[in-house]
Amino acid sequence: MNNEPASDRFVDPTPTDWNSAEMQARIRKRYASERRFKFLGLTAVVASAAFLAFLLLVMLGNGIGGFSQTRIALPIDFETAPIGLDPDLIRSGSGEAALAGADFRGLVDYAATEAYGPGADAWFSGGAWEIVRARIAADPDILLGKATFDLPAASDIDVANKGDGGAVSERAVADLERRGVISKSFNSAFLTGGDATDPALAGIWGALKGSLLTMAVTLALAFPIGVLASLYLEEYAPQNRWTDIIEVSINNLAAVPSIIFGLLALAVFINFFGMPTSSPLVGGLTLALMTMPVIVIAGRNAIKSVPPSIRDAALGVGASRVQVVFHHVLPLALPGILTGTIIGMARALGETAPLLLIGMRAFIADPPAGLSDAATVLPMQIFLWSDEVDKGFVEKTSAAIIVLLVVLLTMNALAVYFRNRFEKRW
Amino acid sequence: MSTDTSDAVSATGSPNAKMTARDVSVFYGDKQAINSVSIDVDRDNVTAFIGPSGCGKSTFLRTLNRMNDTIPSARVEGEIKLDGEDIYASAMDVVQLRARVGMVFQKPNPFPKSIYDNVAYGPKIHGLADNKGEMDTIVERSLKRAGLWEEVKDRLTDSGTALSGGQQQRLCIARAIAVDPEVILMDEPCSALDPIATAKIEELIHELRGRYAIVIVTHNMQQAARVSQRTAFFHLGTLVEYGLTTDIFTNPRETRTKDYITGRYG
Repeated sequence: MNNEPASDRFVDPTPTDWNSAEMQARIRKRYASERRFKFLGLTAVVASAAFLAFLLLVMLGNGIGGFSQTRIALPIDFETAPIGLDPDLIRSGSGEAALAGADFRGLVDYAATEAYGPGADAWFSGGAWEIVRARIAADPDILLGKATFDLPAASDIDVANKGDGGAVSERAVADLERRGVISKSFNSAFLTGGDATDPALAGIWGALKGSLLTMAVTLALAFPIGVLASLYLEEYAPQNRWTDIIEVSINNLAAVPSIIFGLLALAVFINFFGMPTSSPLVGGLTLALMTMPVIVIAGRNAIKSVPPSIRDAALGVGASRVQVVFHHVLPLALPGILTGTIIGMARALGETAPLLLIGMRAFIADPPAGLSDAATVLPMQIFLWSDEVDKGFVEKTSAAIIVLLVVLLTMNALAVYFRNRFEKRW
Repeated sequence: MSTDTSDAVSATGSPNAKMTARDVSVFYGDKQAINSVSIDVDRDNVTAFIGPSGCGKSTFLRTLNRMNDTIPSARVEGEIKLDGEDIYASAMDVVQLRARVGMVFQKPNPFPKSIYDNVAYGPKIHGLADNKGEMDTIVERSLKRAGLWEEVKDRLTDSGTALSGGQQQRLCIARAIAVDPEVILMDEPCSALDPIATAKIEELIHELRGRYAIVIVTHNMQQAARVSQRTAFFHLGTLVEYGLTTDIFTNPRETRTKDYITGRYG
């Protein structure tokens, strides 16, 4: 026991002075750094909230006009108008041909000039005659007298009526207002129609339906395959070099730029398997390839976080491996898997690049009737409209963005609802 | 030393053995965790496995219903029989084996389901009840045997995880009983519980004795002395001594056993 000097080293003769100036300075420094951190965090949250609010407000401000359409009342006196049709002819067997041969465009131009003076024919939308024709086809008797049609205005009049037009259009709008024939109403055609070259007639339904069909294909493929793959990898696969390689490959797949999936789809689905171009089927397959790795990664993490004691408990009462997985592991992991699926699907919904390559950027006027019909999707429609010269498409673009965001929010809300329901059950 | 062990086993009276293990060794990869253990588990008595941490008593317990199968690197040598049937034979269905040899774990692990569903799960997957009425009977009987019925009969639909720790462990025992096992293995069932909950579990073990062959692993030597009639002392993967609990605690033959139960190490 001759190590007394060593033990002396540990005896501190002066007790720590917790009130010394040095200590106080250290405490102040600590407080300051905590305040700084809190401030920075708050700034970040406020900044992102402000960006989001700004985006939403601007979109709403620009896009809300896209949901309404200016209409001008146009009286047509069929007794003087150069149309050359009568009700009997239309009701006869050659009615279709007669309607196809008649010059409705000229009729609208003539009536407009008659009613509002020269140049007024340009106030009406280029597709206004289709409405006149449809009404005549439905009720040929109006050809015997006078009738008033509520027709969509041309886009420069429409824009001027919403307060953002050129001087000439503004004057025309003022003139029409004096006559009391101009009105603005909810544009239901926007939500029910397909794409058109005339902004007054262009609708979002084609792209929306295309998106819904594409997402349905994506979900139907990516979700079961992703969930089964993650279950197999976590619960069944032996831990060896092969599973390591598969794990690395899946992680890399999730990081591959989306346009490359588009090239792959073009080469495999369209060129090799001969599937129809521009179709929601091929679009869905492409996006499923992209979404699956995201679901697998989220699924594996969710499955990993199920406590092993639950597996032991189930095995201990004599459950088979499959029963353990489907009765206990999967239900407990499902909320996490759903979260991953939402993220993957939201990404897929907003994806354009791979769909460009499989031909989904074509101009498609008719909403797709099935999975193999030509279609486009919402983000692609936004891209196409933003590229248009006509000023009427500016608000259509913003309106389409609003529709896309609403679809996205609905999808997320549904997923959150399902997730909460599953969580309550357990 | 292995001759000593087999002497001890034969001294416990094999004719009444429910499970017999002969020269069982367990390996985790290259590491040997259990070295040639031979032991008989008596059908009417509670058998306690005691020993210091890491001595292999839990590992050995898990070989008795092949729970070690879930560990990829684990390998079992030797022979374990349940009523004369080799449980590691290819003809043995491991799922059925685990129903016949139930298990209660160290940490209470009820399923995050209702109390009723926890107990009903085993009977349901094994098809032990034909209708709701039969299932109700099984659940009630199991909860009564586990001494939990009075506490939970009014809230069977509540989540099993909302119970207290001791109640959860009794729920796990009820769950194991519900499939009508022949043997119940308990892996330190009280180590996460307070003394009152522990006392209840010990009381329960007394009541279950005779109906089921029970094997309990415990760190707590007083507990082994209280609940068991047979005690096996494990050390460093070998079975050092096996005999009547009274003999082990009052008159151990091995010095290592004596040192352990008197608290010289462990």
